[in-house]
Amino acid sequence: MSIADQALTEEMASRRDMIVCRGVKKWFGDFQALAGVDVTVKDREVMVVLGPSGSGKSTLIRCINRLEVHQEGEIVVDGVEMSNDMRNIEKIRSEVGMVFQQFNLFPHLTVLDNITLAPIWVRKRARVEAEAKAMELLERVGIPEQANKFPGQLSGGQQQRVAIARSLAMEPKIMLFDEPTSALDPEMISEVLDVMKDLARGGMTMMVVTHEMGFAREVADRLVFMESGDVVEVGTPEHFFTNPREERTKLFLSQIL
Amino acid sequence: MSEVTVPAAQRAPEAESVSPGRWVRENLFSSVSNAIQTMFFSLVLLGLLRWVLGQIFSEEANWTSVATNMRLLFTYNYPTEQFVRIWFAAGALFLAVGASFAAWNLNPMVTVRRVGVALAGTGAVSLVVGLIAPDTTPSAVRTGFFVVGIGLVALALAVLKVVPEPHRRQIPFIGLLTGVAGVICGVLWFFPFGDYGFADGAPTAESGTIDSSTSLPVTVMFLIMIGTYLAGRALARMIDLGWLRRTMIGWWVIGPAFIVFLVLRDPEFDWGYVLAVDVPMGAAFALGGGALLYLLAKPSRSELARVIGALLVALALFHWVAAFFGWYPMLQKARFSFALIAVAALLAPTFAGERAARLRFAGGWFGFMVLFHWLLTGINTPSTLDIAAPPFLGGFVLTVSIAYYVMLASFPLGVLLSLARTSKMPIFRVLATTYIEVVRGVPLITVLFFFSIMLPLFLPGGMGISDLAAVFAGYTVFSAAYMAENIRGGLQSVRRGQYEAADALGLTTVQRTAFIVLPQALRVSIPNLVGQAIATFKETSLIAIVGGFDLLRIANSTIPNQPDFLGQKRPALFFISLVYFVVAYSMSRASRNLEERLQAGQAR
Repeated sequence: MSIADQALTEEMASRRDMIVCRGVKKWFGDFQALAGVDVTVKDREVMVVLGPSGSGKSTLIRCINRLEVHQEGEIVVDGVEMSNDMRNIEKIRSEVGMVFQQFNLFPHLTVLDNITLAPIWVRKRARVEAEAKAMELLERVGIPEQANKFPGQLSGGQQQRVAIARSLAMEPKIMLFDEPTSALDPEMISEVLDVMKDLARGGMTMMVVTHEMGFAREVADRLVFMESGDVVEVGTPEHFFTNPREERTKLFLSQIL
Repeated sequence: MSEVTVPAAQRAPEAESVSPGRWVRENLFSSVSNAIQTMFFSLVLLGLLRWVLGQIFSEEANWTSVATNMRLLFTYNYPTEQFVRIWFAAGALFLAVGASFAAWNLNPMVTVRRVGVALAGTGAVSLVVGLIAPDTTPSAVRTGFFVVGIGLVALALAVLKVVPEPHRRQIPFIGLLTGVAGVICGVLWFFPFGDYGFADGAPTAESGTIDSSTSLPVTVMFLIMIGTYLAGRALARMIDLGWLRRTMIGWWVIGPAFIVFLVLRDPEFDWGYVLAVDVPMGAAFALGGGALLYLLAKPSRSELARVIGALLVALALFHWVAAFFGWYPMLQKARFSFALIAVAALLAPTFAGERAARLRFAGGWFGFMVLFHWLLTGINTPSTLDIAAPPFLGGFVLTVSIAYYVMLASFPLGVLLSLARTSKMPIFRVLATTYIEVVRGVPLITVLFFFSIMLPLFLPGGMGISDLAAVFAGYTVFSAAYMAENIRGGLQSVRRGQYEAADALGLTTVQRTAFIVLPQALRVSIPNLVGQAIATFKETSLIAIVGGFDLLRIANSTIPNQPDFLGQKRPALFFISLVYFVVAYSMSRASRNLEERLQAGQAR
């Protein structure tokens, strides 16, 4: 069994493959960021990627929606292979939503406009319909009253929740999270994690890069530990935190727990 | 258990209002070195002021030369019988300004204190002028300065004492504008400037107030502007502001062209030809194009739209090349229309959508084509005005017309150039960089010479370019290069995360540029862009080199050559300096206000 399919329960193994990475390698000039990564994310699975800085976890996630271009190996998202063909890339991007560490909200648009921009212009929805959906999403993340404010007027936690709502507005099948709480003050981390837990419970396929061990233990179906561009170990939370196999994993956990 | 009393929320302690004497002591004379500098620079400034006043009030300076030539300075050789057109044009502009102020609710509040301080300051300056003015000043004028000075200072003190909490109470900008307009109109109607003019080629001067043929239209224009604003605000709840804003934007793009070419020029339409050729052609492009765009704008037809758009671009280019080499005749209007429909077809996928959106897109095209063809037909029809030497515009009207449309046209061209220069595709990058570096390396006069004198020589027979169009093209080409560099600076300020977020959401490159990148880049570039616009406005004076009679040429050459005012340069030059300053400063202030408005909600 390849490392990618490790630690899958029988039930999960029968689910559809949503993200498949096989032998993915990426270089930034001479520096190798990904050294042959094999990862499979199943339908409705929550996968958390851990690792020290420079291990390639953000690079891997960014390769999945083509924000970075991998040089070797293949990435298949929901059956569509990632290649240079713009149509494939557009198709994949319409299925995959992304939440960034720096929120990346559009500062010149109100919160409501931020959320409705893509549905109106990419999915061609009517404005009224898009706005109704946006208000629904804002209620789901807990900040409906902020709809007409600008991002600069919101706190970090509120901005990140708007960013999550903005991605959800495109009705993606997969959500990618690149260290969503790393830029937040501690008091605000829990409000964003609550939204993510809610999403996971609702059955969203999620791939999360984070340092929040509590979240990983509680919500993840599988954990992936990466170091220096390699996938070192894949396991369920119980296995991972109580009895990791690899030495490198044990070293990492001893440093952070 | 002790009771904890929570103090009522306190206001931050108010900054003490500082008396003028204390302010002077603290800021100008706080140390010996400061006191010496204050006195030295005050003497320098007062000396300069006295010299300027000496120039203004010297015995040689004949201000009648300016007063008599007001009409010349503002409209040059526009025939006096048709002057009502000028007033109509000005009235239409004031109406549009009032409506625009209403549509965007441009009514910042000014504190009473600032108004009072401004009045007191002006009064103080007036008093100083009265004191400093050299002996050659007529005593009536000197007394006038004293009276105005004392009056304004007294008014300011009264306002500041009577109105409670002057630093909190606020007056709307429109209130101030009404006050200023009232003062201007009052001065025009009641102040005995004297009545100056030309009669049978000789200047006339009568004592009394300005002729009502000037004061009345000016008063009416102010009334129109303020009235339109008030009506607009009153109706703001009932009408859709978004529609009004879009209409006003459309008006400001094409309206002035209509005013200049159709109202001021009064073309005489040959109705036979127009109905036989122009109307059908316009209808064909408008209706045919509209239908084509409606069909292409369906989301499922995006690929087809791109293909057809590319074909149309090729066709349009072919027409222009063919025209250049004279292979077959085609009206200029048709060539332009083909080029425009090609661009619109390429944009169709971006504006694709449901039926309502497609109808709006096609309808917009239809309206635009109708106006476009109307305008072009008017431009190509000879004018009925009886003017000795073309062009039909001169003086301040020419300066403003050229500057306005150059600013308007060079802006989109500058945006396209800057996007091309930063594009990933090498061909765009190379072409744009070459254009920008060549144009920036060449003086404006050279560009103007090229366009107005050399370009007509290069064009094949049958393809002409009017003087105005040549000058306009030259200025636009020049200004666009500088605008492009300003915008490129702004583009570099947009964070990479914005691009990534837009890509992750699935926006196309065009959508990302139009909705995310450009708005942020332009906000940052506003100070540079307005600076470029002000420079363009002042550079219009170079039109004198290629034969235009703009404000500066009239003041510098025409007036001093009049037999009654031989050699009288200074009064006219002082006057037009004032005119240039008022316009440029207004643009500066407006830009500051715009920046403040756009800052709302921006990154902390």
